[in-house]
Amino acid sequence: MKKIVLRLDYCIGCRSCEAACRSRFKNEARIRLAEVNATTLLAQGCRHCEEPLCAAACPFQVIVKNPETGVVRKSDFHCVGCRSCSLACPFGVIPAALQRHMSQKCTLCDDRPEGPRCVATCPTGALQFVEDVEAPLHGTGVRYAARSTTWRRP
Amino acid sequence: MANSELRAKRTTCPFCLNGCTSAVAFNGYQYRMEYPTDAKVNKGRLCPRGNSASIVIDHPQRLAYPLLDGKPIDWLRAEALVREWLGQVKPAEVGLVYSRGRSLDEVRRLHGLARELGTTYLACGHIEPENSFNYRLEGVKDATLEQVEQAKAMLLVGDVFSTSPVASWRMLDARYADRKNRLVVIDSLRTRQAGFAHVFVQTGVGAEPWALVALAGLIDRKLGVDVDGCCQRAGVKRQQLEQAAALLAPGVPGFVGSAMHPGRVSHPAFHSLASQLVALAAGKPFVGFRETALPPGAMSFAVLRQAIADGKVRLLFWTGGLFPYSYANLLPELGKVDHRIATSIFVPDPAVPGLVLPMTAELERGSKGGSYWGPIERNALASPLSGSREFSTVLSWFGRAAEVPEAKPKSVSAAEVLAMAQKAVGVKRPEGLLLVGEKKAIGLRGFYDREETVLLNPADAKQLEAENGRFLVLATAAGELGFVAHVSDQVPEGVLAIGANVHRNRALLPLSTDELTGDVTVTPASVKVKRAVRVPVTAAENPSVFA
Repeated sequence: MKKIVLRLDYCIGCRSCEAACRSRFKNEARIRLAEVNATTLLAQGCRHCEEPLCAAACPFQVIVKNPETGVVRKSDFHCVGCRSCSLACPFGVIPAALQRHMSQKCTLCDDRPEGPRCVATCPTGALQFVEDVEAPLHGTGVRYAARSTTWRRP
Repeated sequence: MANSELRAKRTTCPFCLNGCTSAVAFNGYQYRMEYPTDAKVNKGRLCPRGNSASIVIDHPQRLAYPLLDGKPIDWLRAEALVREWLGQVKPAEVGLVYSRGRSLDEVRRLHGLARELGTTYLACGHIEPENSFNYRLEGVKDATLEQVEQAKAMLLVGDVFSTSPVASWRMLDARYADRKNRLVVIDSLRTRQAGFAHVFVQTGVGAEPWALVALAGLIDRKLGVDVDGCCQRAGVKRQQLEQAAALLAPGVPGFVGSAMHPGRVSHPAFHSLASQLVALAAGKPFVGFRETALPPGAMSFAVLRQAIADGKVRLLFWTGGLFPYSYANLLPELGKVDHRIATSIFVPDPAVPGLVLPMTAELERGSKGGSYWGPIERNALASPLSGSREFSTVLSWFGRAAEVPEAKPKSVSAAEVLAMAQKAVGVKRPEGLLLVGEKKAIGLRGFYDREETVLLNPADAKQLEAENGRFLVLATAAGELGFVAHVSDQVPEGVLAIGANVHRNRALLPLSTDELTGDVTVTPASVKVKRAVRVPVTAAENPSVFA
């Protein structure tokens, strides 16, 4: 399946990804920037895990992983706003603050055939929407692990 | 191209001068942004401001009826009032001010109207420091898109990435294209952009021009600059600038880019010209990154401001952004004008005295203009908001307005810049804690970010006992306002930084007159932290702190 990956060397922390998400979902951002230090930011969105803990934690089975596309989707209609998914998410990307009495979760913009809006709008191309097999080429895990608060761009 | 893009209307984004192609689709219910990947300048990429285009069109706070002293009136009454007021004053007592939001052809028509009325009170009210890029240094050339793409040595002054985020993409590509390529950043704050620099020169607040003059002197010894004196004044080490000068040597392809934010620069014209002086010395093209470019009026805003204070202007027509009304220390002067007419696309908050007329947004009308990279054309993305009027309709109430060519930008020689540097030595700087403006994600009436945070250095935070989330009341000459503290090493010791995008925060940055040019501008100001008390702050109240 395709995933959103972040090229750390290109992120300028402009929050365009957040703005595009808010623009589409009426001020509800499903991707947020986390500040590592003053000059380093990380765009944090749903990973669409292989075994999503949010789906396991949902008492009403409102969150379901689509086996074909791999997208973990939440039905807004059935969500009761219990915040179990927010607590269960190991990455903390489902905000605990409720909007319209519901939790907010990334859908990888599955209403848009071209892919997620945050990726399309990213001014520097830091966010990319790539297949699983391509993702290791970006070395995201390695770069993130190597980047402590004293890390400096080469 | 996807089906949704085919239905979308395209235009050139009006929020900065990068000339990005922006597209908006309407599905019968709401406007949605589209990202056309075949766009030449931006490949469909947009910054937060560009993404707000669809929100501006159907924003809940759009002004849809004329307001008289904050109360709605109908258009017939508004027209009658304007004609009545015009009858009560002499044509020479009419003041005309234009600000951002007005296109070049509309400004030309205002110049025509001023000529028709016989008034000399015509000024550009865009008093942001970026307007000082109108000062051009003789012999400096504009950079092209290709020169930015193929740059091997780049100098960025101020926070260019925040001014035009989409333009940063080409710079980053150039920076990573070859390991030998170099990026030099000169800025007073350690912004995100500084994290990409090979050489980052952090100057004192508002002292960038001194570092730039010293850098120009190191690149071109013939200029005869007192390098050590300038370094001392800028608060930087000579070795750092020597390193930067070696990277920016003439002959290496590259460019110099500069940006100025409100409340960040002490002498905007000096800042603009000093950046261009480096470009001239290094033989590189120059780009002044900014949100809008407006030509100068018949007189400077400072002169018009004095005329208003002296009671010589009896009717004032202020068109474009309502920014000046948010500068608190301008309001008493505006009170001396008998009749005030302003235009706006949003409901003024707080209410503005006088008549406010709703205008069509830039996205609802076509126009021609310029960008960093050449001329551009804008199309209407949406039909005009019901209740708003075209600018030409309102202008016709005042009289005949033929298009008149605008005045040319001021041209300055290198010798005059060095003289300016001499003169600036004697200018007194503000003392104590300094409040500066910072460009953050856009506010757009609280839609994206309410920008109620103040950045402060860990050392200052310790002294003020202001950890993250602590509520601080900041007081300047313009007034006082509450903020939530956010401790960050982005700002140096003795400096507090607030977002300068929203009207709420701008009211705290007082207007001042640049002693070098006499231009009205917004400079760093002395600030006092009046009290620091703990108040409950939740993530919902202020997401930016808890993000």
